[in-house]
Order: sequence, then structure tokens, then C-alpha cells
Amino acid sequence: MTKEQRLKKRYSAEKRFKQYGIVSICMALLFVGLLVFKVLSEGSSAFVKTTIQLELNFDTKLLNISNQPTKEEIADIDFYDFTLKHILKVYPTNNRDEEKLLIKLFTSDFEFEVKKFFLNNSDILNKVITLPITASSDLDQLHKGNYQRDITEDRRKISNFQLKIYDQLLENKKINKTFNNYFLVKGDSRNPEIAGIGGAMLGSLFSILVCLIISFPIALLAAVYLEEFAPKNKFTDFIEININNLAAVPSIVFGLLGLGILLNVFELPRSTSLVGGITLALMTLPRIIIPCRASLKAVPPSIREAALAVGASKVQTVIHHVVPLAMPGTLSGTIIGLAQALGETAPLLLIGMVAFVVQVPGNPLDPSASLPIQVYLWSESAERGFVEKTSATIMVLLGFLIVMNSLAVYARQKFEKKWI
Amino acid sequence: MSTSAKISANHLNVFYGQKQALFDISLDINQNEVTALIGPSGCGKSTFIRCINRMNDVIDICKVEGEIAIDGKNIYDPKVDVVSLREKVGMVFQKPNPFPKSIYENVCYGPKIHGIAQSKDELDTIVESSLKRAALWNEVKDRLQEPGTSLSGGQQQRLCIARAISVNPEVILMDEPCSALDPVATAKIEELIDELKKTFTIVIVTHSMSQAVRVSQKTGFFHLGKLIEVGSTEKIFKNPTNSMTQDYITGRFG
Amino acid sequence: MTNDTHIVKSYGEELQFLNDSVIQMGSLTESLLADSMNAITILDKEAVSRIIQSDKKINEYRAKIDTQIMTLLVKRAPMAIDLRITITALRISQDLERIGDLAKGNAKKMLPLPQDLSQELLKSLKRLGAIVESQLNKSLDAYIKKSKDLSVEVIKLDTSVNELTYLSIKEILSFLSKDTKNLEYATNLLFVAKNLERAGDHIRRIAENIYFLVEGDYYKK
Repeated sequence: MTKEQRLKKRYSAEKRFKQYGIVSICMALLFVGLLVFKVLSEGSSAFVKTTIQLELNFDTKLLNISNQPTKEEIADIDFYDFTLKHILKVYPTNNRDEEKLLIKLFTSDFEFEVKKFFLNNSDILNKVITLPITASSDLDQLHKGNYQRDITEDRRKISNFQLKIYDQLLENKKINKTFNNYFLVKGDSRNPEIAGIGGAMLGSLFSILVCLIISFPIALLAAVYLEEFAPKNKFTDFIEININNLAAVPSIVFGLLGLGILLNVFELPRSTSLVGGITLALMTLPRIIIPCRASLKAVPPSIREAALAVGASKVQTVIHHVVPLAMPGTLSGTIIGLAQALGETAPLLLIGMVAFVVQVPGNPLDPSASLPIQVYLWSESAERGFVEKTSATIMVLLGFLIVMNSLAVYARQKFEKKWI
Repeated sequence: MSTSAKISANHLNVFYGQKQALFDISLDINQNEVTALIGPSGCGKSTFIRCINRMNDVIDICKVEGEIAIDGKNIYDPKVDVVSLREKVGMVFQKPNPFPKSIYENVCYGPKIHGIAQSKDELDTIVESSLKRAALWNEVKDRLQEPGTSLSGGQQQRLCIARAISVNPEVILMDEPCSALDPVATAKIEELIDELKKTFTIVIVTHSMSQAVRVSQKTGFFHLGKLIEVGSTEKIFKNPTNSMTQDYITGRFG
Repeated sequence: MTNDTHIVKSYGEELQFLNDSVIQMGSLTESLLADSMNAITILDKEAVSRIIQSDKKINEYRAKIDTQIMTLLVKRAPMAIDLRITITALRISQDLERIGDLAKGNAKKMLPLPQDLSQELLKSLKRLGAIVESQLNKSLDAYIKKSKDLSVEVIKLDTSVNELTYLSIKEILSFLSKDTKNLEYATNLLFVAKNLERAGDHIRRIAENIYFLVEGDYYKK
């Protein structure tokens, strides 16, 4: 082969190699794109809810109160009855079954919506006000086009009568779509239209906070000791091997650990973010120690020598000079470890954070779910309304993960700028 | 060995594991003088100088036998506190290594940890005087908060010298301080060494024969871990006694 | 002396070149001195033209050696023995040039010996010339061999050069007192004797420099 032929062969080999790289990247982007597209297309509709405009006459006689109502009187108002009267006016009928169907078009929580409006607004007595009331999940799904209309009635969730009312309301422009404020704020519910991830979000937040508070200091101190102070012998080698292995242990094992020790031996309360946080901390510890040690190793020995030569003790050298320089790597490792912990489902299942929790937790000792577990729970449900909410929860989860990973990149850049 | 010498090495033997790096070194370093250590690579001069402030302690496999006495007291005595030794004996390294902090913080770190300054004003005074004595004050007085690493190579080395001076040592050890610098920066440091020797005792390791001639009053020639010849710089470079010394400085081997 | 060659071969070659130049300059000076003595004593006319040629060449060597030394100092910053080699080459070439000037000066002054003067007059002068020539020869030998002993011999013999000069001058003066006709000739002979003494001093300095080169220290009696 001549020199020119060899050169040509080399160039074409390099070109091919570059093309393989581009193809791989494109495939990876394709998969990511597919995932994001699927999630976005299914989940974005969860952020809007259907409402029905209901006319309400806040006549004091209907409310059974005086014109200057006292606190006791207000507490005694039967909002269910009051609202029901107005609902039945929407499509007056004498048939009791039809009345039931009409009521079922509205959310089961309609009295609480009216009560909330009443308590938050003062100047509404004896006035007629049109309130948007959340529609039921079935109407919501119908309006979003997820239910087929042209199948037989017994196979449909919406009856013909309900369809008639729906079409009329539509014609009268009484059906609207608004931003679904319940989704981000409320806790779990049997009724999809008022179910939200508020509880799961706080559950995740508390778990991650507990995880951070426990794992970060312990991991940092362990890494500093192992890297700077521990003698280099077989015992410390053994510890290092074990830490590396722990990072690869399946997370469900940590769930078993949490179940066996935290719940059975220490008898901590089940289903709480506290236990969830401790379990996640055990799992995250090795994942912080390893990048922290790598960052400590990367600090150039010249800095240590300079500090020692000026008369700093070993401890002063490590605390004043080495650890601050290892911070960028440690922080990124920590944030990435926390992001992984945020998405963990298996260990939290085992310690019981899978309970059906309606109440949004107020502190880490309250029972709660977490975001990935909420996804799991809703994905198992038969109700059509939960499908979009599952995808929407995944969107929120992905959003948090992107934010946390961006924080990691930002933290790394900001700290690195300082020391070069 | 004369007891009036500032630093006195007596039958010093240094081992790295099984390998012996220094053989029976006995050498006096006089006060307020610059002593140069010359010799080919790997001859042990850096090892020797790092024994004087016990920097070799951080190397696990390094074993030191014999003694080095400063002001008559053996620094390898187990009762000696290494931290206060290093307050007395400062070091400047081959590659400038300022802390990745501001210029001010670089110079005030030593006084802070040794508790030399009692107040911020005292710290300011120490920083200013150290930078002045290192001939760097005029160039940095308006930007003390900038990072030390933003200075040029020569300025960084002078910053390291200011840092070493800030704790008021008695001895300054310099391990090839100019080898990473350009000729102008080198000249400034040599000028600085000339000034500093009035207040400090200086030991300098150098690969540049002409630098050793210019800055030092006494020179020691090392080869393969042994001290071949030591004497006044003039004698060593004009008419050395040992033929190996002559061969080295005239470039006949090395 | 050191026996190894420099790591940078061209350095050693430059020093060797300097050494050879000095030796060549030295042998030129030797022949110039011999020719000048011949011009004085046997009135060799061809010697005079040879003298002028030699002097020119000696001056060229002087300039060449000067340039070589400047280059060596700038390029190599010579230490210890190399420094002594360089400095002594500079000094020796200066002394050789002076010796050449003195010899040339002697030859130029000479007029034919008047018929009625005897050769006896020139006896001490001839002896002086011979000793000076042998001193120069010995010192160049000392330089080539880098011999301490030879240089010490030359240094010690310088006293006899001075004594012989004194003797020659006395002889010439006594002749002068008897014979006032050849005043100019006799005066020139006085100058010749004096110049030979000065040449002897330069040769002694060359030997002292060779001693310094070899020993690293100046010769002390």
C-alpha cells in the first residue's frame, strides 16, 4: 500500500469514527426525546381542569342567616344543601335518578369550594355571583376528549342524559378550562379531579432534607478522615473497598435495612419522611464519600506543602486549604446523590411511604408519600383521570431533577472559577 | 563542628525505605549568610534542605538518623514541636505555590494561625511590612483583595517569600526558587536575597552555577548523597580542592 | 589538571583553539626575537624584512585571541580552571605582543657596526640576548606542558637576566668613555640592552601567569 493510500485509509477511518459518535448521540437524543414527548403530551393536560359556571344567589334567607351574621351562624351554614339547590336549577328535572346524574357532573367537593369562596369574600351577601365549580373527573375527561362518545351507553362512563346536559352547558358557554390549582397543592384523593401532589412533594422535600442533614456531614468527615488522616494499611483498604461496593448495592436492600432496624428495632413511626430520609441517607452516604474523596485527592500537594511550611498543623492544612478546594467536586457529588435519592422508590415502599395519605404533611414526623411513590400509586389506579396526573407528576419530578443537576453544574463552575 | 553556626548538621543519614539518600552529612550554616547547595540532579540537596524544616516528616518511608541542630538544639528531638520549628524556619518552593486566596489572605495566614497578631490593625501592619520586605508592596498595594494566583510568576514567588517572612522566621530555605522564572524575575529575586540576608539566614538549592556564585557566600557541593566539598563560594568557584567539584562546575560531568 | 572533556564539546574545542593560538603566537614571537638579535649582531638584512612580517602576524594573533576570549567569556561564563585558562591567555598574549614590539624596536635601531669596533663589545649583549631567547623558549615550553616547575625556573632565572643587563650596560659605558666617536651607536646599544631586560620582565610575567594557571595561586618567593 502506498503512503497516499494509507493516509486516505486513516482519514476515512477517522471520519467513520466521528459518524459513529454522531449516530450514538442522535440515538440517545431520540430516546430522550421520545420519553419527554410522551410524558409532556400525556401530562400537560393535568395542569388544567374543567369548571362549570354555577350561578349562586347568596340570599341570606337561603343561607339561613341574618343580615349581620355572627360567627356561630356562619359555622352553622349548610353549604351542601345551599349549593345543591343551585345545581339542581342547572337542568331542572323531576327524576331522582337524573338528579343524581346531574349532581355527579360536579366534583364531590363542591360544597367546600363554595364555603371557601364565602369565607374569603365579605361583600357577597344577597348578591348573585357566578362561581366556577370544578367539574367531576368524568366530565373533565370527557371535555378533554379522552372519552369516546360514539359507543353504546353501557360501555360509557357518561350517560346519555349527562351528555345532554354537557352539550347544553357547552352551548351556553358555561364550561371552561382553568389552571388546575389543586394539582400542586392538595394531597392524594380517591377523586381524580381534586387529587394533587402537594402531599407527595412535601414528603419528598422532608425526606431529602433529612437525608441531606444526616448524610452530608457524615460523608464529608468520613471522606476527609479516610483520605487525609487514616494510616494506609489493609484495614483502611478494606473499608475503601466496602464503601465502593455499597454505592452499587440495590436500593431496595436499604429499604429492608430501614424496615428491619428503623421500624422494628427502633420503632420509629411508619410511613414518615423521617424514616424515609434516614433510609435514603444510608444509601446516599457512599455516593457522597466517593466524589468527595476524589476531589480531595485532586487537590495538588503543593498547596499542602505550602501550608505545612508556613507552620500549619495537619488539621489546619486540611480544614483551611484542602477541604475548601475539594468543595466543588464534593458539592456536585452531593447534589447528584440527592437527585438520585429524590427518584428512589423501592426503599421507600418497604418502609411504608406508600400509604394513601390525604393530609398534606406538616413536619417530617407526619405520614406521607413521595413523588415517585405517588406515580406508582396512581399508575395502579383504574380511574382514567389519574393517567394524565401520573405523567404530570413525572414531569414535576423531571423538572426537579433538572433543576438539581443544573445547580450541581452551576456550583461547580462558580467554585472552580475562584481557585484557578 | 563549630557551635557558633546557626544550623549544624552532624552525621546526618537519610533513608527512603531501603535506599539511602544522604550519607554522613556534616555541614554548618552560618547566620546572616547565604549558603548555596549545588550538585547534579538526584544528589540529595533537596532532601537535605527539607530535613532542616522537617518537611520530610510527611513522607512515611523517610527515615532520618543523626542530628540537625539549630541554635545548638537538635530539631529531631522527639520533644520538638514541628509547628513552632516551621515558624522559625520558612520555606520557598521551586514552583510558586500561593494559596488560592487573596494576596492579603496569603500573607496574613501564617500570623493568624500562630497568633502573632492581636488585632486587624496589627495584621495589616504585618502584611504591609512583609510585602515591602519582599519588594512586592508597590506592585500590589492597590489590589490586596485580588487572588494571589492572578499575579505573574515572578510576583507569585515574591508573594511566597512575603508569606514565609510574615511569621518572622530566622531561617529561610529556598528550593530552586528561580527555576520557573524568566531572567528579569530571577534578577529581582536575587536582589531580594541580597537584602534579606541582612536579617535572615538563607539556604538556597540551585541548579544555576552562576546564581550560586552571585548570591551565596558559602557553597556546598553534593554528589550521590555525599557532601563532596564545602567552602567559601569564591574558593569553590575559582579554585576548588576536589577534582569532582571542578569537573562539575566546569561542565565536564554532571 | 582535569582529564575529562566538557559535556559541550564545542566548549572544549574553543579552549583548545585558544591554547593553540597562544602557542602559535609564542613561536612567532620567538622567531621575531631571534631575528632581531641576528639583525643586531650579524647584520642579517633579510632578517629585517622577516621581522616586519612577523610583527604584523603577531598583532593579528593578538586581535584574534582577544575576540576569542570575549566570545568565551560571554558564551561560557568559565569557572575555576577554565577561567584561569582564559584570563592567562589574555595576559600572555599581551606580554608576547610587548616582547615582539621591543624586539622589533631593537632591530629597527641598528646601524652597521662601525669597522673599527670589535665584536668583543657585543659579547655580553649577545649573551643577554641568548638568555632572553632561552627564557622565552622555556616559558613557552612551560605553557605547552602546563608545567609548574619550568615556570618556576624561568621566574628564578630572571634575576640573572637583570644582572647580565647591568653587566652589558657597564661594558658599553666603559667603551663609551674611551671612544666618543661612535656615540650614537653605543647609545643604541644601551637601548637594546634595556629593551632586552624589559623583554625579560615580560617573560617572567608570562611564567608567573603559567604558574597561576597551574596552581590557582600566585607565585610567592
